[in-house]
Amino acid sequence: MKGALMHVNSRGRRARGGSAAAVAVAITMATLLAACGGDDGDSGSADGPITLTVDVFGQFGYEELYKQYEASHPNVKIVERGTGSNLDEYSPKLTQWLAAGKGAGDVVAIEEGLLVEYKANPGNFVNLLDHDAAGLKGNFMEWKWNQGLTADGKQLVGLGTDVGGMAMCYRKDLFEKAGLPTERDAVSKLWPTWQEYIKVGEQFKAKNTGAAFLDAATNTFNTIVLQYAGTGGGFHYYDTSNTLVVDSNPVVKQAWDTTMDIIDSGLSGKYQAWSDDWVAAFKQAKFATIACPAWMTGVIEGNAGAGATGKWDIATVPGNGGNWGGSFLAVPKQSKHQAEAVELAKFLTSPQGQIGAFKAKGPLPSSPQALDDPAITGATSAYFSGAPTGQIFGTGAKSLKPVYMGPKNQAVRTEVENAVRTVELGQRSPTDGWADAVNNAKKAADK
Amino acid sequence: MATSLDIRTEPGTPVTHRRPGSPRRLRLSRLDVKYSPYLYIAPFFLLFAVFGAYPLVYTFWVSLHEWDLLAQDHPFVGLSNYSALMSDTDFWNSVYNTLGIFVISTVPQLLLALWLANLLNRQLRARTFFRMGVLIPNITSTAAVAIVFGQLFSRDFGLINWVLGGVGIGPIDWNASKLGSWIAISTMVDWRWTGYNALIFLAAMQAIPRDLYESAAIDGARPSRQFWSITVPLLRPTIIFCVIISTIGGLQLFTEPLLFNSGTNPIRGGSLRESQTMTMYMFENAFAPNYNFGYGAAVAWMLFALIVVVAIVNVLIIRRGARSS
Amino acid sequence: MNGGLWKGTRLTYVALLLAGVMSIFPIYWMFVVATRSSDAMGEVPPPVTPGGNLPGNLDRLFANADAHFLTGMLNSAIVAGCVTVSVVFFSSLAGFAFAKLRFRGSNVLLLVIIATMMVPTQLGVIPLYMLMTDLGWNDRLQAVIVPALVTGFGVFMMRQYASQAVSDELIEAARVDGCGTFRIFRSVVGPALRPAAAVLGLLTFMTTWNDFLWPYAVLNDPENPTVQLSLRALSNGYYQDMSQVFTGTAIATLPLLVVFIIFGRQIIGGIMEGAVKA
Repeated sequence: MKGALMHVNSRGRRARGGSAAAVAVAITMATLLAACGGDDGDSGSADGPITLTVDVFGQFGYEELYKQYEASHPNVKIVERGTGSNLDEYSPKLTQWLAAGKGAGDVVAIEEGLLVEYKANPGNFVNLLDHDAAGLKGNFMEWKWNQGLTADGKQLVGLGTDVGGMAMCYRKDLFEKAGLPTERDAVSKLWPTWQEYIKVGEQFKAKNTGAAFLDAATNTFNTIVLQYAGTGGGFHYYDTSNTLVVDSNPVVKQAWDTTMDIIDSGLSGKYQAWSDDWVAAFKQAKFATIACPAWMTGVIEGNAGAGATGKWDIATVPGNGGNWGGSFLAVPKQSKHQAEAVELAKFLTSPQGQIGAFKAKGPLPSSPQALDDPAITGATSAYFSGAPTGQIFGTGAKSLKPVYMGPKNQAVRTEVENAVRTVELGQRSPTDGWADAVNNAKKAADK
Repeated sequence: MATSLDIRTEPGTPVTHRRPGSPRRLRLSRLDVKYSPYLYIAPFFLLFAVFGAYPLVYTFWVSLHEWDLLAQDHPFVGLSNYSALMSDTDFWNSVYNTLGIFVISTVPQLLLALWLANLLNRQLRARTFFRMGVLIPNITSTAAVAIVFGQLFSRDFGLINWVLGGVGIGPIDWNASKLGSWIAISTMVDWRWTGYNALIFLAAMQAIPRDLYESAAIDGARPSRQFWSITVPLLRPTIIFCVIISTIGGLQLFTEPLLFNSGTNPIRGGSLRESQTMTMYMFENAFAPNYNFGYGAAVAWMLFALIVVVAIVNVLIIRRGARSS
Repeated sequence: MNGGLWKGTRLTYVALLLAGVMSIFPIYWMFVVATRSSDAMGEVPPPVTPGGNLPGNLDRLFANADAHFLTGMLNSAIVAGCVTVSVVFFSSLAGFAFAKLRFRGSNVLLLVIIATMMVPTQLGVIPLYMLMTDLGWNDRLQAVIVPALVTGFGVFMMRQYASQAVSDELIEAARVDGCGTFRIFRSVVGPALRPAAAVLGLLTFMTTWNDFLWPYAVLNDPENPTVQLSLRALSNGYYQDMSQVFTGTAIATLPLLVVFIIFGRQIIGGIMEGAVKA
C-alpha cells in the first residue's frame, strides 16, 4: 500500500494530494515507531533509584517535606501530580485509574467523602495494617483514624492528613450595619444553639442591609446533620450495619426541620454552593455568615479578595463542633513500590509532617500532637482580623464525635441536599421535599 | 455538461496520450478500478477498528453486566440494566430534556445557518471579514464560553437580567427552571455552532455553477425563488450532512449543559435535574457518585438508539421536502 | 436583472453586522476580563471596556509553574497540526472513494461510519485508557494524536461534498484518457475539493485544539499537557482566578486566529476557483 503512494510521490508533481500524503504517512510511521521504542516511566530495579508519584488535589503543602524525605532516602525521587486541581476533576481521574487497574500514583490523596466510596471496595488499596501502621493510631484523633478503617476494622485504607473542623465565619461590616456585635467572642455567645442562630438571622434580616444572612441552606444543612448525628447515635443516613435509615433516623428529620426553619425565615441567599454566582457573592458582600471549616478560610480570602481584609472574622459554630472535609493518603494496590509508598505516606501524615504542611499551605492537622504544637495554637489570620485559627478550629475538631458513613453516602447525601435546595428555591413544599429526599435517597442507594 | 476537452484546458495538467493497451497495463488498471476504493477507505477502518470499535464493543459488553467501576467482579445480568432504565423516571426526564434542548437549539440553528450562508454567498465588501466573523464563536474553548454565558445568564450578576431589570422584568433564575435553562443552553449552543454550519453550507454553495442562476434570472425568477428552486435542491447532500451531524451533536450535548451548571455536582443538571441531558445522566451513573458503569453504558446505547431514530426521521423529512419543491 | 442574487443589499449588510456583533461580543468580553482583575466577574453591571491589568495578568500566567503554559501551546500545536493534515488527506481520499467510485459494500460501509458517530464516547475513556497503557503511550502525545487521525465526520463531509461538487463526466473522461485512480484524485478531484478541504482543515484544527476530555484522561504528566489542560491547571484548587483563566484563554486563542486567517485565505481562494468552474 505504501509502495504505491511513494511511487506516485516520486514523480514530483506539486499536487495537494501527493505532498500531504507523504506528510501524513511519515507522521503516522514516526509516531508508531516512537511508541514502540518508548521507554518506561519509573523503571528501576529493587536496588536502584525509584520514583514515587504522589497524586493530590488542591494544595497539600508537601514540597518541603518531599525535599526532607529525598534527603534522608537517597534512592527515592518524588513527583507530585495534580497540584492545584479541582476535586471535581481529580475524583473521576482516580476512579478511572482504579477501574483501569493502571495509572494511579504510588500515594493518592482521597477526600473523606470519597473515601467512603472507595472503602466499599478495599481490594483496590494496600492494607496499611499489613505495613505496621497499627502503632500509629495514637497520632490521630480517634474519629479520624476510624474513618480510614473499613467497616469490619480489618483493613486500614488511608492515613489521615488534615481535618476541616467547623466554625462560623461572618462579615463584621454587615453585622455592624445591622446593629449586631462584631467582636468574635460576643458573636459566639449570640448563638449557642441553632435556634438562637435563626433568631439572630431574623434580627439581621429585619435591618435590610441588602445582604442575606447566610449563603446556602444546603451548606448549613450538611453542618447541622453531621452535628446532630455526632451527638446522637453516631450515624445519620446509614446505620452501622449499612442499612439505609434516612427516613427512620430521627437525627436526619430533626436536621431537616431545623433547616426548614432557616428557609422559612428567609435567611438564605439561595446560592448554589461553589457556583460562579456564589463566588461572585463573596466580592459583592451578599451574605453575612457562612459555615466555615478551616479550608474555607482560604476560599473566602481568594473569593472576597484583598479589599475585604479585616472585614471577616471567625466565631464558633452554633451547636457543638463539627467537621467538614479532610483527606487521607492511601496506597493503591497497583503501585509497583508498595512498601516504599507506605513509608512515604507514614512520613507525610506524621505529626511533624502535618505541622510542616500547615506551615506551608495551612491545612489543619488531624493529629492531636500536631494541634498542640505552638505553631498551630499560635496561628492567627491577618485576613480574618487576627483570629486565632489554630485554636478555634483545633478545639472544635478535637472534641468531635465520629459519624459513621455508609457505602453510598455521597449519593444519598447529594439527593437529600438537593431536596433541601428545591424547598429553598420554592420549587417544592417542605412536605413534598422531604418525601423527595427519602424516595430519591432510596433510589440512589439501590443503584 | 463537461466534455473531455475540459481536462486539457485545466491549468497545469499535461496532455496525456493514451498508450496502446499493453496487457499488463490493462490488468493493472482493472485491479486499480476494482480494488483501489478499498485502499482509500482502509485507513479509516483500520484506525477505527482499534480505537473506535474496541471501546464501542466494550461499552456494549459492560452494559450487559452489573459493573461497579471499583469492584473486582462484574456479574452478567443480561438486559436487566435496560429494563431498569425503562422504569427510571430520571432517565426519561433526561430524554425529555435532551429532546427539548435539541428542538430549541438545532432547528433554528440550521435554518439560520442556511440563511447566513446565502447572505455570505453574495458580492460583498469586506467579504472575508464577514465570512470569518461568523466562525469566530467556534474558536474559543467551550469552557471559557460557558463561563462567559454563565455570567450573562447569572441570576444576580448577569447582563441579561440587568437589561431585563431595566425594562421592569424581575430577575429570572435561569438555572432553576426547565425552560430557562433550556433557553440559556440553546443560546450557547446556537451561538457557537451556527457559523460552523453556515461555513459548511457556504463551501457547498460555491460548487453550484453560476450560470444556473443567471438563466433562471433571465427567465424572470426572483432571488427567493432561485434560492428555493436551485440552491436548496442542489445543496441536498450537504443539508443532509449538516442535519445528521447536528442531530448527533445536539442529542449528545454534554459540555455546554455541564458547564452551565456551575457549582457542586454539575453533572446533575440542577436540583430538579432541569437541564440534565442523557449524556450527563450516563456520566453520572457511570462515575461518581453511583459508579454503576453497567447502568451508564446502558444509557449510552439507549441514546444511540434514539439518535438513529431521530436522524432517520430528519433525513426522511429533508428528502420529502427537497423532492416536493 | 442579472446580478439580483449576487449583490449585497443594505439589509444584507445590516443582518451580517448584527450577526458579527453577536458572534464577537462574548469573545470581546472575555478579552475585557483578561485585561482586568477577577472582580470584573461579579460587578453589576458588568464592565465592557478593557482595563489595564493585561501585563500583570500575562506575567502571572507565564510564571505559573503548575500550568506549563508554553509547553501546552507547543504540544497542542503539534497535535492539532498532525491531526489536521491527516484528517484532511485521509477523509478526502475516503470521501472521494465513497462518492465517486463503485465498489461492493460502499453503502453499508458508509452507514457504518455514520452509525459509529452516534454512540457517545465519554464512557469509552476507560477501555481506551487501558489500551493506551498497554501500548505504552500513556502521558505521551501519540495517545492523543493517533486515535484522531481519521474521523467519521471528515469522511462523511468530504463524501457529501464530493458527490455534489465533482461531476461524474469529468472522472469518466479522465479514465478514458488512461488516468489511474490516484491520478484522478490528485489532478481532477483534489482541486475541486479544495473549499471543503480547507473548511474541514480549519474545523478539525479548532476542534483538536479545544479538545479537553480525552487529553485530560490520558495525559497525566503535568509537565506534558496540551493547552486546554494548562488552562485548567491555572485554578488554585479551591478558588479560581478568573482573570488569569481568561488571560490564558485569550492567549490560547491567538494561534487559532492565525490558523483561521491562513485557512481563510484558502477558503476564499478555493471559493473563487470554484465559482469560475463552468
